[in-house]
Amino acid sequence: MFINILFFSASALVIASCALMMWTKNLMHSCVYLLGVLIGVAGLYLTLGADFVAATQIMVYVGGVVILMLFAVMLTGGKDFQSKTQQLLNLLPSMGNKYTFMWGGGVGLVFAGCLTYFFMHLFKVIKVQEIDNNSYSPTIEKLGELLVTDHLVAFELSSVLLLGALVGAAIIARPRKERPAYIDDIEHDHHHDEEHH
Amino acid sequence: MVSLQAYLIVSLILLITGLVIMISRKNIVAILLGIELILNSAALNFVAYSKYTTNNLDGHIFSLFIIVIAAAEAAVGLAIVIRFFQIKETIHIDEVSELREEIAR
Repeated sequence: MFINILFFSASALVIASCALMMWTKNLMHSCVYLLGVLIGVAGLYLTLGADFVAATQIMVYVGGVVILMLFAVMLTGGKDFQSKTQQLLNLLPSMGNKYTFMWGGGVGLVFAGCLTYFFMHLFKVIKVQEIDNNSYSPTIEKLGELLVTDHLVAFELSSVLLLGALVGAAIIARPRKERPAYIDDIEHDHHHDEEHH
Repeated sequence: MVSLQAYLIVSLILLITGLVIMISRKNIVAILLGIELILNSAALNFVAYSKYTTNNLDGHIFSLFIIVIAAAEAAVGLAIVIRFFQIKETIHIDEVSELREEIAR
């Protein structure tokens, strides 16, 4: 019963935050609604008995990724940028007007219909066998054992991936270097010497 | 007991929302937000199937790796966005063609 209440409140949070995230024009508000989506998904993990995944979701996403997104929005302005070709852009689907949601919603509905149709078909053939797994136990110990036995290579590769992402992000986002003035002086002198010879 | 289909429907809603955001927004940061939603729906599917069809915890492991990859993707993507904003002063998706700045001489 408690599981049902938790599931319905978490999924209501997820769906409402998703709808608001699509609806709002302000990117700052969109990031805050993404926070609601992520917390709701963490609640869904809790109803599935995945306590460690829920904690990781809260720590990594809510503590890291959303803050990073907020920084990016604040650093880049987060506006609906209108360029020189504004008249052309008004004809095409742009950010946040009615054509946008018409196109996006139409594509989304068609895609959802196709997905549900094909998956219904698939479920009739394959018949997913649900087991009666109604017990909730701590998963951290088993997850730790699995990470250093069965999934050791993926674990190590993910650490290499994180290191690469850290170094790559630091290199890509480094501040723009001004061209030092003394290089111009050196080249100027060089040309001067060549002219003399 | 909540059925598996309920989780799949929530996951489908997440996927469709992410897809609509990716299609309809013109801001690169908003497109990255849509990608986050799609990755979350995949991770939710892994955990739901792991609970309802197996007795092991492999789905949880895959979900953890998805979270790690999403964090790396967000870091590198936002670094590219900020770099692009330094060069071109805009992050409209239609303006994106190169990451190389003009060589000032």
